[in-house]
Amino acid sequence: VHLDLEDRLAKFMKTEEAIIYSYGFATIASAIPAYSKRGDIVFVDRAACFAIQKGLQASRSDIKLFNHNDMADLERLLKEQEIEDQKNPRKARVTRRFIVVEGLYMNTGTICPLPELVKLKYKYKARIFLEESLSFGVLGEHGRGVTEHFGINIDDIDLISANMENSLASIGGFCCGRSFVIDHQRLSGQGYCFSASLPPLLAAAAIEALNIMEENPGIFAVLKEKCKRIHKVLQGISGLKVVGESLSPAFHLQLEESTGSREKDVKLLQEIVNQCMDRGIALTQARYLEKEEKCLPPPSIRVVVTVEQTEEELERAASTIKEVAQAVLL
Amino acid sequence: MGGSSADSAPPIGRVQMGEGGCFLEIAGVEASPAPQAGRASEAGRMNVGVAHSEVNPNTRVMNSRGIWLAYIILVGLLHVVLLSIPFFSIPVVWTLTNVIHNLAMYIFLHTVKGTPFETPDQGKARLLTYWEQMDYGLQFTSSRKFLSISPIVLYLLASFYTTHDAVHFLINTASLLSVLLPKLPQFHGVRLFGINKY
Repeated sequence: VHLDLEDRLAKFMKTEEAIIYSYGFATIASAIPAYSKRGDIVFVDRAACFAIQKGLQASRSDIKLFNHNDMADLERLLKEQEIEDQKNPRKARVTRRFIVVEGLYMNTGTICPLPELVKLKYKYKARIFLEESLSFGVLGEHGRGVTEHFGINIDDIDLISANMENSLASIGGFCCGRSFVIDHQRLSGQGYCFSASLPPLLAAAAIEALNIMEENPGIFAVLKEKCKRIHKVLQGISGLKVVGESLSPAFHLQLEESTGSREKDVKLLQEIVNQCMDRGIALTQARYLEKEEKCLPPPSIRVVVTVEQTEEELERAASTIKEVAQAVLL
Repeated sequence: MGGSSADSAPPIGRVQMGEGGCFLEIAGVEASPAPQAGRASEAGRMNVGVAHSEVNPNTRVMNSRGIWLAYIILVGLLHVVLLSIPFFSIPVVWTLTNVIHNLAMYIFLHTVKGTPFETPDQGKARLLTYWEQMDYGLQFTSSRKFLSISPIVLYLLASFYTTHDAVHFLINTASLLSVLLPKLPQFHGVRLFGINKY
């Protein structure tokens, strides 16, 4: 059933091959060190999620951070690297360059500008690793992710890695791409070789979720509408600002003005979360390992919208959040 | 520091033997296989075809069981093949053996870098030659001494059999120097004029 799932995922994403990992965090954290070694250079966004950061740490490569979704900053870094390469062409021939981005960022709810990234990729000869944990099953006409959303040929992206824990409601993760690229992970992906496989029930559940996605492609448009609606409704809260794109199902509510210390912010947001919980709306704060994150995002409440929630439920949730926020923050 | 002390297997072998000795009264049958397993694991560390925790197997090849003998036999084979060519005289054959052996040693030990397989250490040895990778960079291990002495022995034999002729002497000495200098610990990781650096 695991091989079946790999086949189905590869067919769904229209790539040559896919490989399944049994733990979603370990997917991207093993995929990056399988390709990028000491002496290689990785350009990564500042808002990359914790799994990517751990993968980069394990890879022992040179990490160059660029500002979140700032293509000018990335181009500046790539140009600097090009100058270094021209100074030492023999070293440049042996170093590999990678760009690691997320389709829909977990920490900020924004979408990466993929067309410009592909242009930069071909201009500066780097390879793109796209992490589609939130955008798989969300963006695009048929849910194929951010490549379909922008209409980019899937062969332009060297590796797509995603979590099955979000829209496929299973556990684990998968990577898909060309056979040449994915086959390498079967021997050198540490999270693939050195761990057991996914429970077969969950693999079957993922296949069923893929079936649902393939049978009703209309749900993605519905999800988009719901996301836009709730985004609009939550805009008017004083004291909280909505961080994230309007078509992102996972967005953050951050305090408009921080109180100065992170603990106080966290406590304030926790107060809002507790009161919402009392009224029957379950929210959660975005949790981070504060000492381990490279660029710690400000404390926020992460709100996630699913396609199964009805209009009334969404309205009720939005109004509850509004009332609670006004009560707590004023 | 000898070569055997650099390996991690002997302490494990000794522990196994110690445990076998302790439980001698309780399990008389198990005691006898355990010391033998300990002794066997001390010999060739190169576990071919089994799962091992050696991060870079390249470092242990020259400590494997029987590889020194294989090396000597290979050099002997080269010499016999050269001897069988009819129009080479004995001094020429010896000089050729010396030179070809040193050339092959230079290429395989001091020019080729990295490993032919994926290692789990994220490419630590990617820019190191085989000589620098041997025993993880530990100097004066027994295999290193063996590989340093073998060109010297060949040189001595060659200078004897070429009756210390001047031309042969020059060729043999130059060849010997080219293969002995990179083996010095002062030359560990040194790349002259940036040749072969990346």
